[in-house]
Amino acid sequence: MALKDKRHQEITNKIRKIMKNVGDDILVEGIMPSLEIPKVGYDNTVWSDEKRMLTIGEKTVQVGPNSSKKIPTFAQYLVMANAIRKLLDEEMESTIRGMYYATLSTVGDENNQQKFWNGQDDSDDAIKAIELLTNVPREEFSVTSKPKGMISGPITLSVGGDLIDCNLGSRATSQLIPTNIRDLEIVKVKADFVMVVEKDTVLNNIRKSGFIQKYNAILLTGSGEPDRATRMMVKMLNEKWKMPVVIFADADPWGLGIALRYKIGSESLSYDSDRLVTPNSKVLGMMFSDIYEYNIPKVARLAATPEDLNRANDMKKKPWLQDKRWKKELNLFLERKEKCELDAFFKYGFKYLADTYLPNKLREAGVI
Amino acid sequence: MTSKVTTEVLEKGTKQTKTILQIPQKQKSKIYYNRKAESEFFVDNSALAGFTGERILYMSVRELIENSLDSCEINHILPVIRLSLKLLDPLNDLWIISCQDNGIGIPSEKVPVAVCSFLTSGKYVEKQQRGLFGVGLKMIAAFSTKDTDHPLKVWSKSEEESEYYFDLRTDIGTNKPITLFKKSVKNDESQIEGESGFKVEAILRAKLSPVTKNKIYDYISQTSIVNPYAIIIFETDEGKVTFKRRTQIMPNPSREVLPHPSDMDLKTLKKAIFNFMNQKTTLQGILSNSFQKMSNDKAKDIINRAGLTVKPADQYDEHELIKVVNICKHTKFQSPNTDHLSPIGEKILTVGMTSEYSIILNKETSTSGSQTHLSAKILKPSLTSYSSRICVVNNRPTIVECGIAYGGDIPSFKLYRFANKIPLLYDEGSDVAREVISEVGINKMGISKKEVKEQFSNVETRSDRTVEYLPIHIFFHICSTKIPYKTAGKESIASEGDLKKYMKSCLSDLYRKVSAQIRRELKIKEDENKLRLYKHYIPFIVNAISESIKIDSKKLSKAFQNLAEKYVGGELSNIAKQIFPDSDQKRVEPGNKKNTVNNDNGNENKLSKFDTRSRVSVSKQSNKIKPAKINIPRKITKK
Repeated sequence: MALKDKRHQEITNKIRKIMKNVGDDILVEGIMPSLEIPKVGYDNTVWSDEKRMLTIGEKTVQVGPNSSKKIPTFAQYLVMANAIRKLLDEEMESTIRGMYYATLSTVGDENNQQKFWNGQDDSDDAIKAIELLTNVPREEFSVTSKPKGMISGPITLSVGGDLIDCNLGSRATSQLIPTNIRDLEIVKVKADFVMVVEKDTVLNNIRKSGFIQKYNAILLTGSGEPDRATRMMVKMLNEKWKMPVVIFADADPWGLGIALRYKIGSESLSYDSDRLVTPNSKVLGMMFSDIYEYNIPKVARLAATPEDLNRANDMKKKPWLQDKRWKKELNLFLERKEKCELDAFFKYGFKYLADTYLPNKLREAGVI
Repeated sequence: MTSKVTTEVLEKGTKQTKTILQIPQKQKSKIYYNRKAESEFFVDNSALAGFTGERILYMSVRELIENSLDSCEINHILPVIRLSLKLLDPLNDLWIISCQDNGIGIPSEKVPVAVCSFLTSGKYVEKQQRGLFGVGLKMIAAFSTKDTDHPLKVWSKSEEESEYYFDLRTDIGTNKPITLFKKSVKNDESQIEGESGFKVEAILRAKLSPVTKNKIYDYISQTSIVNPYAIIIFETDEGKVTFKRRTQIMPNPSREVLPHPSDMDLKTLKKAIFNFMNQKTTLQGILSNSFQKMSNDKAKDIINRAGLTVKPADQYDEHELIKVVNICKHTKFQSPNTDHLSPIGEKILTVGMTSEYSIILNKETSTSGSQTHLSAKILKPSLTSYSSRICVVNNRPTIVECGIAYGGDIPSFKLYRFANKIPLLYDEGSDVAREVISEVGINKMGISKKEVKEQFSNVETRSDRTVEYLPIHIFFHICSTKIPYKTAGKESIASEGDLKKYMKSCLSDLYRKVSAQIRRELKIKEDENKLRLYKHYIPFIVNAISESIKIDSKKLSKAFQNLAEKYVGGELSNIAKQIFPDSDQKRVEPGNKKNTVNNDNGNENKLSKFDTRSRVSVSKQSNKIKPAKINIPRKITKK
């Protein structure tokens, strides 16, 4: 408890320092204050050969009340910083949605009234800005998101001292991955490898088939776009507990994107890759080539939408996706214009995915 | 029913002859050929004159005001019009409407016919005029007769005559007036104060929806825009509004003209010949005297080309005359004269635009329930501009006038359409003016869509046309001897001939003229918006800081405001002071400051630097200041 207080103190001091600087700019220096924030996005995302992941570049943006567009943004950042400070001072915890509500208000007079936030996206951005400004991940602000990642298998977690055995034996349920990772510890792992799948439906199917028991595996899913806690869990299992990690996602550009989040990181969280990315993980499927190699029936294939094709073309241009393997897969997709979900294997029977496809792939990769 | 069956059977041939036999002979319908009186025709087809259920009162107001204005302008009398519209009997939907003017009046012996008999008018000439050619007032009389037992009350005083009073009703079956009562009015009972005038009071059965009521208000305030030389006093159950006279200038009245030969048809030609019946004039003479742009030589040439022999004009038969008409249709004549038209004119429209009345309904809630109260407000724009084109559209001389009023008290976009000085209020969507506005790019004003949308994004506009985001009023006036109306209702103008082209060039012209000013207005607007943003967001910032660290929040807030003012620019610091009233040392009342610059200690240097521009837009910020005092609209009427 005492240690935690100290860390909170550190963070609130960082926030107070920011406030002090802004106050001094106005009162003492008489200049427009400005916040210098590392730029997040494609044009400031850099591939690091050494770390084998996406990292943030040197570019920064200035956010200050000097242009009409940035006046609200500047105010939003300071209001959010103050709210985070309050949260820490009060030793409380909140979700990102909670922070949105905590800072909700209206701006202007009767003739000209606006909302302080246009939506939760705005407040989420403000939280990100404070992470960047203080160089502290938001979990340490005690700001989390709703848990959505799930885990199953021979692993025991400790959440704030309570033990959670994820190997419940019944094949019937999975454990949510807690998002308050500062309270989370991995106590015991007795598996041979970790398998990450894109969707919870697929995870449920595999779990039910007895895959965990048969191959002594830990199953994990981010339920679509993985949250930070899920990514960190994967990284911890791989690097701290030396578990090999394999990833399976749908054979479409979005699925491939999700798989790569675990392996190389993302543009929007490039500043946090060190905590989130697992470069040693292996993306095994589902490859576009698998559609043809496993001869997925025509009815189970889906036609690519224009958005899918745009996305694939975009991905092809990214400097960090120039690897021959990804280029080949993306080109195949652009050529055949067909995509496929992992669930498509159900066409061959409900056990085909867990009994045939996945073991085949794992054997090819030498995991089992 | 019977006749229908019969027809069907006849069409199908003889196979069903049995059916025919079943129909008794006497049930076959018989057609009677009757002549219908004009009055009965118009009452039965009242929509032709625009008198449809909902619009009866609106049309009545319109007809009465138009008659009054015409009657004044004909003799160049500055109009004073009193219009009253009040609910007489809510149970039976009876309204009492009266209209009084100081026009030329109607000679007493003509009053009953002029008021009651349809298609009797002093307006049957080729001339630009407002009225509906002898239908309007008659319609009111007929409706009053049809729906109520009240007589129409008329007071009239024409030149060299004393005032007469009439009780009139219409015999709808015969189109003849019924004079119930007539008397010469003595001094003490006199209703008409001036040398001449006309007053009519009618009781009508009608319903008035809020929408139509607003149309009536719109109609009157828009009429006052194009007739700023008229005093219009308008009284309703909700109150009384007076539209003051803002200028003594009146437009030159329109004059009658000879028809243009391109418009000649058998009827006009025969009428021309008939007019010269008693004079020994040749056909050549009649042509050159009855049509404009027709010289003696040209007339001779046409008669030769038609191959007609010389004989007395009334001896030609229709087969010969049609040849003359046909030749004329294929002959090129000079464009028709336009000098007989009566445009509003730059001076008058500018007066109208810079003193635009708008009727305001104030809702007052008292113990006796909520009551609306009428009042009028003058909208002062910060700039106006005028442009016009004289043109010929399908052989009709036409004048297009266009005006723009921008900024100041004008809250939002509005299009005003006038045809021969009559406001058009319905069917705006299908009017050529709408197309014109859509098709003339706002970039002619030297501003981009993006700029406009950024500065006026909070304006509630459904349209995606950028110009509609601006606080701008656009006025179009088309005057012509014949307006190309789209429908019988005469509420929208069709895009006929080159009309649209001329309207577009007029509007483009105006956009260019005002571009520099609009740019400046937009810049000021931008700075205002920025200052407002500071005003609204500084408390959030100051609060966030002062909750986190120890700091004097009042001092911080004041310093931040000063910083913001400095940042937006010295030129606008008076706006800044409106937005941050407590940011400086003890302030003189804003209204005071505006007019008595020298009394404002310490600020005279700053203030004297401001030109009219910034002051004009300042007035928008503070509702306390009466715009009329400080707003000197700058006319940019001359090139």
